[in-house]
Amino acid sequence: MLSQTLVNGIATGLVTALPALALTLVFGVMRFANFAIGATLTFGAYAAYYFNVGLGLPLFVSAVISAAITAALCVLVNRLVYQNLPGASGITLLVASMGVAFLLENFVRFIYGNSVRGYQIQAVRPWRLLDLRISQEQIVNIAVALGCLALIWLLLYRTSMGRAMRAVADNPSLAAARGIRPARVISGTFALSGALTGLAGVLIGVDGAVEPLSGYNYIIPVFAAAILGGIGDPVGAVVGALVLGVVEEMSSLVLPSTYRSGIAFVVMAVVLMVRPWGLFGTEPIKK
Amino acid sequence: MMGYLPTLLSLLAVAIAVGLALNMQWGLGGLVNFGLAGFYAVGAYTAALLSLAGVPPLAAAFAAMVVTAILSGLVSFVSLRLAEDHLAIVTLGFAELVHLAMLNEIWLTRGSLGLPGIPRPLSTFVAPAYSDLAFAALALALVALVYVLLECLAISPFGRALRAVRDDDVVAATLGKNVLWIRMQAFGVSGAALGLAGALHAFYYNYIDPGQFGPIITATAFMAVIMGGRGSNLGVIIGAATVLLLIEGSRFLKDAFLFLDATQIASVRLMLIGLGLILLLIFRPQGLLSERRANSKHLTGGP
Repeated sequence: MLSQTLVNGIATGLVTALPALALTLVFGVMRFANFAIGATLTFGAYAAYYFNVGLGLPLFVSAVISAAITAALCVLVNRLVYQNLPGASGITLLVASMGVAFLLENFVRFIYGNSVRGYQIQAVRPWRLLDLRISQEQIVNIAVALGCLALIWLLLYRTSMGRAMRAVADNPSLAAARGIRPARVISGTFALSGALTGLAGVLIGVDGAVEPLSGYNYIIPVFAAAILGGIGDPVGAVVGALVLGVVEEMSSLVLPSTYRSGIAFVVMAVVLMVRPWGLFGTEPIKK
Repeated sequence: MMGYLPTLLSLLAVAIAVGLALNMQWGLGGLVNFGLAGFYAVGAYTAALLSLAGVPPLAAAFAAMVVTAILSGLVSFVSLRLAEDHLAIVTLGFAELVHLAMLNEIWLTRGSLGLPGIPRPLSTFVAPAYSDLAFAALALALVALVYVLLECLAISPFGRALRAVRDDDVVAATLGKNVLWIRMQAFGVSGAALGLAGALHAFYYNYIDPGQFGPIITATAFMAVIMGGRGSNLGVIIGAATVLLLIEGSRFLKDAFLFLDATQIASVRLMLIGLGLILLLIFRPQGLLSERRANSKHLTGGP
């Protein structure tokens, strides 16, 4: 029973890790919490739905196209919205991202309505491993999420683009002085965050359903995961998402399942009260 | 059209109260509350439950203000202690928790069935034909009182301290201001205004259910404050009126675009709100009226 909970928690946590990573990367280079991450996730899920159900492409191909489209969308939104607010505080950008969220979520609702949809995939019986039940969808989700995380790790820590992203996140003016072009890095970060979030939307749609509120329902867990790991810290966001996923699953052993989505809020509130710099960070020196 | 006027005025009173509350938090205090709808819902349910239990409606509204103020202060305490950036998401989380409670604590809220038959204040003194108009007048009078009180606070030493904390909390703290306490007070006071707005909502509709308290309340309030001018209470009133007229006006869209269904009309309206927010922030960030600066002539050299 306990190991089953653990497996479920890790599967949920790994999927949450992708948007949490996207949130934390954008926060690193732009210093604002991108509230539109939920609506972006919904957009990604529906983009894949269009190619999968609308055009009949295999889900794998649809997911890749959807990730590319969502990445392009995020770059475009950054150009049209956030880059037109130069010198705005993180709070103002946050409010602007709420506007973006409304726009995207309701664009999807305008086209597809409120009904709950699903991808065209074959239902497969869950695998049994000792007394564990693992569904095919969970296996796919875990594998895809792990693959993405490995790719992101390579990108961040083994390529010059990743080094530039981390440099801008660390100290933008110093990075600029070393000849890193911030505009390129910011565009790259938005593209990456869009691809991650769009893909997460597809994974969530595979495991659950595709609906206009898919992304909105994930906003609080995603923020909670990023805050838990110390916002701006990529590795922290992934660990935070895993911890949160397991805690959420564990909670359903003792709490009524209707309150499951409240767990993320409680975890976030406790972390902010006790260790607002995240579980792994160090206390910043307030000047 | 005349029959529509009390409706419009009542909705206006509610929208102004929410806008004024957000202006205190965000306009003057620089604190983003994405959970406005949740606090508003707490006010509505408190007022509804108490007045259904036989408490006079005005006393129930006052109780709703107190409950919302206390909750608002507590929620701000959670996230303001060290990381004010995260207040937006914590308040949203609070609103989600309120939503879950509204849906699932059926013994108290009747869940998605909602609470019908909420009595209105003054209903025993006014002939039924004038009930709507009397309520609109009462709501506007109460909100006018809120405006006067909040405006007095805004130009008082407390308002100055709040703006100082918004502009630079470290400097304000160095000058001996208790940053956390000032922010909590701002959240508490504006929470009371949100509680009143919720109570008026419950009284006006006579019926509430969890579906009425969606994020659109939060989005329209932000649009009202941006449009009116952050920091200006008078501007927020103009902004709230403009946004309300736009939203109510967009109801006529369905007559113009017969091929759109109800969901599509609703999503077009929300898309326009989102787009409006972004365009205002980019092209008119100072709003219609800008914040009144209480600069002394001696300091600025005078005109």
